[in-house]
Amino acid sequence: MSAWSESEALHERVRAMIRAYERRARSPESFDAIAADLARFQAANVPGYGRLCAAHGVEPSKIDLARQAPAVPTDAFRLADVFAFDPSAATATFRTSGTTLGARGVHRIRDVGTYDAASIAFGRAMLVPDLARPAAVLVVGPSPADVQDSSLAHMCGLFARTFAEPQREEDTFFVRGGAPDIAGLRKRVAGLSPSSPAIVLATSFALVHVVDALQGEVLALPSRSRVMQTGGFKGRSREVDRDELEAATARTFAIDRRSVVGEYGMTELSSQFWEAPPTSEDETRSYFEPPWARVVAVDGRTLEPLADGEVGIARIEDLANVDSAFAVVTQDRVRRRGAGFELLGRVPGSLPRGCSIALEEMLAAPRDGE
Amino acid sequence: MSRTVDDRVADVRRLIGAARSVYANRARIAPQVARCTGLTPEGVALGFESLEREASDADLRALIARSGVADCVHAILSANVFVSAMRALVIARATADRVTIHPSRRDPVLAIALVEAAADPAIVVQPERDVASVTGGEIHVYGRDATIAAVRALAQPGVTVRGHGTGLGVAIVTNAADLAQAADLLAADVVPFDQRGCLSPRVALVEGDAARAWSFAQALDECLRGWGRRVPRGALLDDEPGEAMRWRDTMAFAGRVWASDHHAVALGAVGAPLLVPPAGRHLYVAPQPNWDGVASCLTPVARFVVAVGTDDPARVREIAPDNARVSRLGLMQRPPLDGPVDRRS
Repeated sequence: MSAWSESEALHERVRAMIRAYERRARSPESFDAIAADLARFQAANVPGYGRLCAAHGVEPSKIDLARQAPAVPTDAFRLADVFAFDPSAATATFRTSGTTLGARGVHRIRDVGTYDAASIAFGRAMLVPDLARPAAVLVVGPSPADVQDSSLAHMCGLFARTFAEPQREEDTFFVRGGAPDIAGLRKRVAGLSPSSPAIVLATSFALVHVVDALQGEVLALPSRSRVMQTGGFKGRSREVDRDELEAATARTFAIDRRSVVGEYGMTELSSQFWEAPPTSEDETRSYFEPPWARVVAVDGRTLEPLADGEVGIARIEDLANVDSAFAVVTQDRVRRRGAGFELLGRVPGSLPRGCSIALEEMLAAPRDGE
Repeated sequence: MSRTVDDRVADVRRLIGAARSVYANRARIAPQVARCTGLTPEGVALGFESLEREASDADLRALIARSGVADCVHAILSANVFVSAMRALVIARATADRVTIHPSRRDPVLAIALVEAAADPAIVVQPERDVASVTGGEIHVYGRDATIAAVRALAQPGVTVRGHGTGLGVAIVTNAADLAQAADLLAADVVPFDQRGCLSPRVALVEGDAARAWSFAQALDECLRGWGRRVPRGALLDDEPGEAMRWRDTMAFAGRVWASDHHAVALGAVGAPLLVPPAGRHLYVAPQPNWDGVASCLTPVARFVVAVGTDDPARVREIAPDNARVSRLGLMQRPPLDGPVDRRS
């Protein structure tokens, strides 16, 4: 079987899993079965991954479980092509934000259909489970046409096309000339039908800009609306506590705090993770994975999995990363809590990166990727 | 404030005498140093060879010319390189009539030994760091950038804060270099203090094609293996083991890695961005097909570069970052006592 045919078959198996999730049906095969085949495929076709397996003394043909496969550090996306094919085979190319040392990570996607299916299926389940067809999706960020290499812009554009009635671009994306378009956002919110909920998609720092610019003014969204917030809280303008920003966002858009939903995504992945709102004030917020992805807290020294409740770095297994690296190890700290996980920020000392910083940079300069 | 340059030279010379005394009796404190630093006994012995015990008058006059003048200096020391206390003391004493030293909590041994040996009433050890109580003169702070920022934030108006933050060394191997000799000399720069100092080279830019860089990386691996047998690496501390594993995995993916229990050498691809390794005898070897490539490769890391070692200092000075010390390979850890090792501030 050629690498192309093998890739096609793997994409189809992952999409079957996604379709089963959407139908609330049992997955046609196990996570580990697909993961083991992905590890073999990537070791054979992504040269760096073959070398990484060899460095760990792992024989790809003997991998039965996802956890047996070495994880690719996200830094590798900055230094090498993490792709099973010639770059010309990519239908989408996403880039990370720049770092202190200047290099940007590149994630090439051969078949963006699997990426889109994964994003829509889990995004719908976690962000809009009770909304058949929201009236509008409002993105406080650039359009995918403006920043074609941003996975965040791609996802936001996808949601705007999928979860909302078609709108003109200027009625969907509210960043103009490198700054949040507050006037446009105000006008758009004022024109929303009170009976149809809306979705606002934004990074943490975009929300900081909006909150600061409005200076207490309220842009009341229709009832049952919600706001997606993604990215960290450290940046160049000012640092904002998570709770503080969530409260300010809820006040600004006149929604319940539990309607501010966190999303965790990375340029190097094809799947995203979503917060579930707490059922009580005291409950810790947790992020959740779709069935085709896993977040494992691992010891930073040994990369061995940690028990529930222990803080480690995130090893992420994402079956939708068919043609790149299905297992990556990040520099984000996480703690498993039963079925979900808490996101605890970056490992101290690691290079600053992330979509929030990128948007911050974009607001002052040309837009970076997620 | 009334000291002449000759007075200041004499004050510094007393400290150099103290250093000779501490060095002569180093066996007494070496076990404590090993416990504090994580270095092996062999690593401590090697580190002591970098303790400044000699200086020319010209170097000392240059050091004094680079120093400020103040009534008093409060010096806050770091832990990364145990002999660095000596130069910090010298600069503080060259600057001021009165000096208080706050040694690193983790590694106070050499600073205290030097002060005791100097028996200079103008120098006092101050175990507690109390920046806010310093009402005049200068604060010299050595350590992480965050530490320096915190000290600046706490310092009272009118107090000058001189920060010496994080930095690294870079080696440049020109196309004229004898690779085996360059590797041998570079290894000697890497091993002291298990590469934790800001003079320690972390990156080697090799002018020439990929095959030449491959040969150099192999030669460097051999040299570091030899050093590992003679001077075993000590324990990696804090976040270093995790950072080392991550860097090695990244480089195994993106290039080629040669490693032992005591070191790792990684070869990157031609034109790939630098991935600066963590301390612990880790070297990133970057092939650069031509001199322009060498120069442009330095640009993104220029503000971090404290020292550049090379087989051709004259040629390298033309492209080295401003204020970086340029020396021959093998001498990166032995800068003359002519000012701070880090000239960026």
